[in-house]
Amino acid sequence: MDDVIKPFGEGFVTALAPEFVLVIGLFTLMIVPNLGDAKFRIPLTQVRIPWLFGGKRGTLDSDPRLPGIFASLFFVMAFILAAVSFIGGMQTKTIASGTNELLKVDEFSRLFELIFYGALSLASIASIDRLPATSRKDRSVSGLYNNRRQVDFYILLITCGLGMSVVALAQDMFLLFIGLELASFSTYVLVAFMKETKEGSEAGMKYFIVGSVASGVGLYGLSLLYLWAGSLQFEELTAHFNATGMDALPLTALGMLLVGFGFKVSAAPFHFAAPDAYAGAPGPVAGVLATASKAMGIVGLLRILLVVAAPEGMEDSTTVWLIALAVLSVITMTWGNIAALGSTNPKRMLAYSSVAHAGYMLAAITAIGALNWDAAHADTSRTAALAVVTALMFHLVVLVCFKLGAFLVLSLLESENGGHTLESLGGLVKREPFLAVAMFIFMMSLAGVPPLAGFLSKLLVIMGIVKAALIESTASGNVTFSEIHWVWYLALIMVINSAISVFYYLRVGLVMFFNEPEEGREGPLPRGTSVRLAIVACVASTIYFGVGAGQLIALCESAANALLGVW
Amino acid sequence: MTTGIDWISIPLVGLPLISSIVLLIFIGNMSAAAREKLGPSIRMVSLIVSFIMLGVTTMMFFGQMDNMGDWATLNFGSFNFEHRYQWIEALGIHWSVGMDALSFPMVWLTTFLLPITIVATWNEKNASVYFPLILMMGGALIGVFVALDLFMFYVFWELTLIPMFFLILKWGGKDRKYASQKFFIYTFTASVVMLLGLVTMYFLQPESSGPLFGTWTGRTFDIPTLISHSQAANANGMWFLGESMQKVLFVMLMIGFLVKLPSVPFHTWLPDAHVQAPTGGSMLLAGVMLKMGAYGMFRLPLAMFPHAAEFFQFWLLALGMVSLVWGAVVCLGQTNLKKMVAYSSVSHMGVILIGIATMQPLGWAAALFMMFAHGIISPMLFAVCGAFKHHYHSMEIGAMRGMAKHSPWLATSMMFAWMASLGLPLLAGFVAELMMFLALWHFLAAENWSVFWMVGPAFVLAITAAYYLWSMQRTIFEGGDETQPPASLHGEPVPDIADSEKISMVIMAAFTILFGIMPWIALDMMNGWTVAFFEQLLIPILNGGV
Repeated sequence: MDDVIKPFGEGFVTALAPEFVLVIGLFTLMIVPNLGDAKFRIPLTQVRIPWLFGGKRGTLDSDPRLPGIFASLFFVMAFILAAVSFIGGMQTKTIASGTNELLKVDEFSRLFELIFYGALSLASIASIDRLPATSRKDRSVSGLYNNRRQVDFYILLITCGLGMSVVALAQDMFLLFIGLELASFSTYVLVAFMKETKEGSEAGMKYFIVGSVASGVGLYGLSLLYLWAGSLQFEELTAHFNATGMDALPLTALGMLLVGFGFKVSAAPFHFAAPDAYAGAPGPVAGVLATASKAMGIVGLLRILLVVAAPEGMEDSTTVWLIALAVLSVITMTWGNIAALGSTNPKRMLAYSSVAHAGYMLAAITAIGALNWDAAHADTSRTAALAVVTALMFHLVVLVCFKLGAFLVLSLLESENGGHTLESLGGLVKREPFLAVAMFIFMMSLAGVPPLAGFLSKLLVIMGIVKAALIESTASGNVTFSEIHWVWYLALIMVINSAISVFYYLRVGLVMFFNEPEEGREGPLPRGTSVRLAIVACVASTIYFGVGAGQLIALCESAANALLGVW
Repeated sequence: MTTGIDWISIPLVGLPLISSIVLLIFIGNMSAAAREKLGPSIRMVSLIVSFIMLGVTTMMFFGQMDNMGDWATLNFGSFNFEHRYQWIEALGIHWSVGMDALSFPMVWLTTFLLPITIVATWNEKNASVYFPLILMMGGALIGVFVALDLFMFYVFWELTLIPMFFLILKWGGKDRKYASQKFFIYTFTASVVMLLGLVTMYFLQPESSGPLFGTWTGRTFDIPTLISHSQAANANGMWFLGESMQKVLFVMLMIGFLVKLPSVPFHTWLPDAHVQAPTGGSMLLAGVMLKMGAYGMFRLPLAMFPHAAEFFQFWLLALGMVSLVWGAVVCLGQTNLKKMVAYSSVSHMGVILIGIATMQPLGWAAALFMMFAHGIISPMLFAVCGAFKHHYHSMEIGAMRGMAKHSPWLATSMMFAWMASLGLPLLAGFVAELMMFLALWHFLAAENWSVFWMVGPAFVLAITAAYYLWSMQRTIFEGGDETQPPASLHGEPVPDIADSEKISMVIMAAFTILFGIMPWIALDMMNGWTVAFFEQLLIPILNGGV
């Protein structure tokens, strides 16, 4: 039974504990680095009251590394709190004011929060060493500048995390959009964080312009949706959709929302800013964009396509968005892979590979649309939809392990001004065997080589698509090849694409193990214990989720169940 | 399911994989100098591990283990040392191992070749990484042969690529970068097509529940269960999964296996990989890895889709014939010793494919025995090539002449290996080829196919003799004292092969003779398996089509 909680009513704080931890973290980061011995003189008197803000700061709170350590602690705490709520069965809690549902804490939102916080805490841990924070004694202009802006970076990471969790929790399209914007605005600044470099400012500019146009289009779609249904509540929208069916107005609105979310998952043709943004952003931020930010876009897509425009509501088995999405997914995966073949900048290559992965996920969502929802097939169709959503969730979770890990390895090279050319990876195995092997594992996992997590996630997606394609034929017992639903070919295109992708993933391995180090890069890589720790965590989870994934799959299944519960 | 110690997972799969990973992690944290110093001890550890594995499989061969049936009379569909553990419950994935007479010879062969490879390439540079990779390769290969679960099968199938990729990349010849990449991409592409076929088959099987079936898919990856399903469904002229589906799936699975085998026109990765691979890599690649393709055909498509196999019989025969002839003809034009041997492998794999295509018990037994015999002979061929390269710094036929005078050991080994490969009677290869000819004759006569199919194999016999004899004449006999050593030696004295190489050559030669004179040692169990396969599975299904 759902617990309904009023905003700021009883149980509100415990229900949203991870989010409150982040809010506390936000204020801590704002306050603590500013504490000093400043005094406030009461006007017209000589009485000075200790005011604590400003003045000469103490040794501890003026440490430039402090914000990073704080932010990492808060992210890890939020992660643990979100994980703890799974223990002993999740209690679904709905936060509603009056009859309006606002937020819902269930397996689905919690799992996505785990993805967000996991990615952000890894990025934040890695950034402690990655951002050029120098010692307090460094009085040079750039040193002071870098030390000063440390706290900005982590505040933005935390607001990003808050926005993302609102997206996962939202039960209302408008709230979802606010969360999306909060996270987006933080990422716009984070991408441009290295604004003094040419790539950094270019990346920030492009990402901001394209992103805000996409958001604007999405917002316009939202307003059309409101015009049509008179509410933006998911429940209301679904009910309205089931009552009136699809006509031109909501269809236009859906298309516009697709643009907004399509940008977030970097689906073609809205992916153009992604390679530039990833290449110019600091490594960990690029990693967050490719994992957490993408997961956020997927939440939006799942909500709008599965919950609102539920295929169940359609009379015939083909949903309206099916064809458009199928074409989009094929273009996305093929374009991503072919563009990645030609890119010599490893970060751009990873960006394009991320586009290709977006294509695989879109293909999986398409497969749900192919299911038949009439009375005879509804049960089997539901299990197939469950399989697809589970596969998507699993994919998003494990993506954090290896995609973020790959960006972290590149971020280590970045701190010696490398990482922008494939050649700068040359001879990595001689410089630091551990990093080379880790990078190779990430690449193989991205390519989908067993027994790594990437293989299992790809297998699950393929299985989901194939299951959806075969559901009608297996029910009737007699199968001929021509009767199979055409989404099966999406799986075929997907495996061919993943075969193409091996080429550029393998190339990274070849450069690392075969080429000699570039001149001036012979020695060991720059220090950075925290980045290496984060990379170890990524490698360990990439292998673990590939070999022993049973529990994670069960977790993803319960989350998928929570999402599809309304069906 | 038998109980007792899991003799497969622990010593044959787990031991090599885990020990190699531990060794690699262990040396990963060391400086280059320390690594160099530890090389000999790591080599020794690898050798000991491989001997343990060989010991276990040899004990298995002699039936010295508890709870095992006799290989030759093992019932079809039952396995020795079967063990099963839950892996991913939701999807019906198990860690499931077992061996029958189809897989056991291959497993024994792998464990036999591991120590031989280690000894033959005793002085390989960068020993501390090389030998663990060889071990890992062995573990992954055995994993393919013992897997009784499709998922596990695929995992090991792909896992073999990684150590081989590194063996070629780090220890290979001049074009190793190109070759390793081509090898990886070629075979990976084929396997993902196979994977889609496997997944499609997975969902087409009837839904059911039980310990083997996934809790929320209601299907299983268990190979014996799938085979018994298909056996029931294929009976009485019905097609398992429906006619068109069976054909499509057969083709998808065969793409994966034919590329691995390899058969013309998918063979182009093989010469490149072989020429660039180090000797040890080539020995395992030709000895065992190619057989994964043939093994996979027997295990999956032929057992599950016999109707489709019958439907595509002509194409299988044609592909086999083209591989046989084309591989041999191309050999004639090679000036590179290793490339010639690589193409001769393509030709021999054609023999396996023809044996399969006959759909005769004799032909299948011939194919199985060819897999085994070629697995002993071809490593010897590549060991000779490796020694040639190592001592004369060149692979060109004619770079070194008159070997018989100054390197009698290498010359003898070369002559022996070449003779074995061209099918000299009393050597292992002859048995397989003879059986294949008989089976093909029998098949052509029984099915009223044109006798002209026999022209190919007959023609190839002559060509094979021609290219082998020609290369021997140019390297072993011609010239002699008056011929100068090749320029690549830079005037150094001409050495004969090292002791470690001698040992491995003698052992391989001895086993070639052993299986040539007494083929029944291995052939009995292969025959038993084939006959059982035909009696219990094919004949009822194909309505006495044999």
